[in-house]
Amino acid sequence: MNSQNIFDGITDIRDDLVDGAKEARGKQKSQGGSRGRKRMLGAAVAAVLALAVFVGIFARPHSGLTAYAIAQAGYPKMAPYPSGLAQFNSKVHDAWWEDVKAQRRDLGDISSLESFFARSAQAFLTGTEGQNRVYSPVNVYMALAMLAQLTGGESREQILTLLGSGSMADLRQQASDVWNSNYRDDGALTSILAGSLWLDKDLKYNQGTMDILARDFYASSYRGNMGSEQFNKALQSWLNEQTGGLLKEQAGNIELDKETILALATTVYFKAKWHDEFSREKTLPGAFHTPSGDVDTDFMNQREDQPYYWGDRFAAVNQSFEGGGSMWFLLPDEGTTPEELLSDGEAMDFLFGSNRYQWENQKFIFVNKSIPKFDVSSQFDLGEGLQALGITDVFDPEVSDFTPVITDAEATVAVSQASHAARVVIDEEGCTAAAFTVMAAAGAVQPPDDEVDFILDRPFIFCITGIGGLPLFVGVVNYPAGA
Amino acid sequence: MDDFAIVELYHRREQLAIAESDKKYGPLCRSIAQRLLGCREDAEECVNDTWYAAWDKMPPDRPQSLGAFLGRITRNLSISRWRRDHARKRYDGMELLLSELEDCVPAPGTVEEDLERQQLAGIVSAWLDGLEDQERRLFIRRYWYGDPVKELAAGRGEGANAIAQRLLRLRKGLRAFLESEGVSV
Repeated sequence: MNSQNIFDGITDIRDDLVDGAKEARGKQKSQGGSRGRKRMLGAAVAAVLALAVFVGIFARPHSGLTAYAIAQAGYPKMAPYPSGLAQFNSKVHDAWWEDVKAQRRDLGDISSLESFFARSAQAFLTGTEGQNRVYSPVNVYMALAMLAQLTGGESREQILTLLGSGSMADLRQQASDVWNSNYRDDGALTSILAGSLWLDKDLKYNQGTMDILARDFYASSYRGNMGSEQFNKALQSWLNEQTGGLLKEQAGNIELDKETILALATTVYFKAKWHDEFSREKTLPGAFHTPSGDVDTDFMNQREDQPYYWGDRFAAVNQSFEGGGSMWFLLPDEGTTPEELLSDGEAMDFLFGSNRYQWENQKFIFVNKSIPKFDVSSQFDLGEGLQALGITDVFDPEVSDFTPVITDAEATVAVSQASHAARVVIDEEGCTAAAFTVMAAAGAVQPPDDEVDFILDRPFIFCITGIGGLPLFVGVVNYPAGA
Repeated sequence: MDDFAIVELYHRREQLAIAESDKKYGPLCRSIAQRLLGCREDAEECVNDTWYAAWDKMPPDRPQSLGAFLGRITRNLSISRWRRDHARKRYDGMELLLSELEDCVPAPGTVEEDLERQQLAGIVSAWLDGLEDQERRLFIRRYWYGDPVKELAAGRGEGANAIAQRLLRLRKGLRAFLESEGVSV
């Protein structure tokens, strides 16, 4: 006999016992309704975003006219999330639910994706020399998938090999499924992967490729006078719009000169509320031990009964978002650096494998979490890392093949810039004092069995998994307030 | 619409039965599924499946308590989903409840291992009958409805710690009762 048998036995207890407890339950709910509503309004907020930009250069000068769209992607419209009392309104609820179901996709076997995520994260997150680094595996995956659509021959084959796809058709289908399974824009959770292609006005292009980008990658294409201030502003404006203005500084660094004939930009914007908000009243200052000494940092504190995971050289917990997705925190053991964990097979398996939830070393206990509020960002070039991962031809104008998009036989095109910027911000804003007074009382639960402290007061790794469980962001935090 | 009328709709095979069930018991079933699974999407699927299962069971069933009948279906669907998917998904509510219910599992050999589910339910019901009203309701609210400890504490004006300790005592009490009722050794 096990606990599941006990659960089943309890399920089948007599009706009068069930009804008797229901009456007591109903009384409490009718008395406690207003407090419940305040708590929903007082949910904490987490905002995250990243952008990645790939730029190709055609080695001949051109000038042109103004930009205009040549193919535009349409995003699904979603009914609003049924928060507060609306969740009991079946029409509101059903409309939201139908829209959520419409976005679901079965990604099937994603072992090749997981392998790409792990390998690329190792390539892009190491060698940071004690600085913050944020990387979006899903963002770069989408950028590479689009790049595969724009290339042919060995250029495409190298990308397909890295992403583990057997054919372009398979990759298109997978990219479309990844896009849809991560898409949510319902007022409670925003998760949008956006893509765009920017072409020089004189470029002879293949409209069919633009249409495929719009249909399968949800990417719009624009054509204009490359190198002009107006066209650069249009691109920056698009980047800012797609990333909620949170990467304004980094987007301002993106400029295309007049020798550029083609640019590919992809973004991911993710904004969600914590499922269990942090109480602002419990946020306390403390010392974070950065590589260059202690700095004062605000730590958010929360005590929850939840799974606690560990490996040979790390401990980990997760914090769920309302509506889907989670943020995972990996704390290296004392004497181990985040960089060392990034080359630790067990830690990488935990971060990017699909068996986190059935991890052998886990225990459901009370966890006293102390997590620094942080705002970390980074901007770096992907070129070297991608070449180390086997993507070489697109960087070499002698061998690169962009024939699926460029019909000009004279053109020699290569990727000259592959810029990746990302920013992750977490905090507990949006609280009301009354709501958190309630939470403060509720947080005083003593563990019936065991408890553990999880204090992120030294460099650590985080990973944000989206609605479909894929890693939207992974990063190393050395300085919570930024470099 | 009263329960009798809703059950009649099922027996007359009128689809309005489902709409009326959702209207009256949707919040209850959603609450149970949401608390057990923690995932609104999966919970919603369980509730939708609840109406179809009810449609299959009535007729011939004619439940005395429609709320308990539907809530029970939701619980069964929720644990079925957990059994199917827990290897790849985390259902925090269910994990926590099953973890707590480990305390109720009798020592090996003290209870017949293949005790019929209904027989076990009868023993648990008998044990609940012997409890004080407050304790009985507390146990059922936690382990049948899945109400969180925090909510139970807030409703009683007690500390969550005190409620957790009382629940622990109740779980140990159930274990002792099951062992004392063991059919074979």
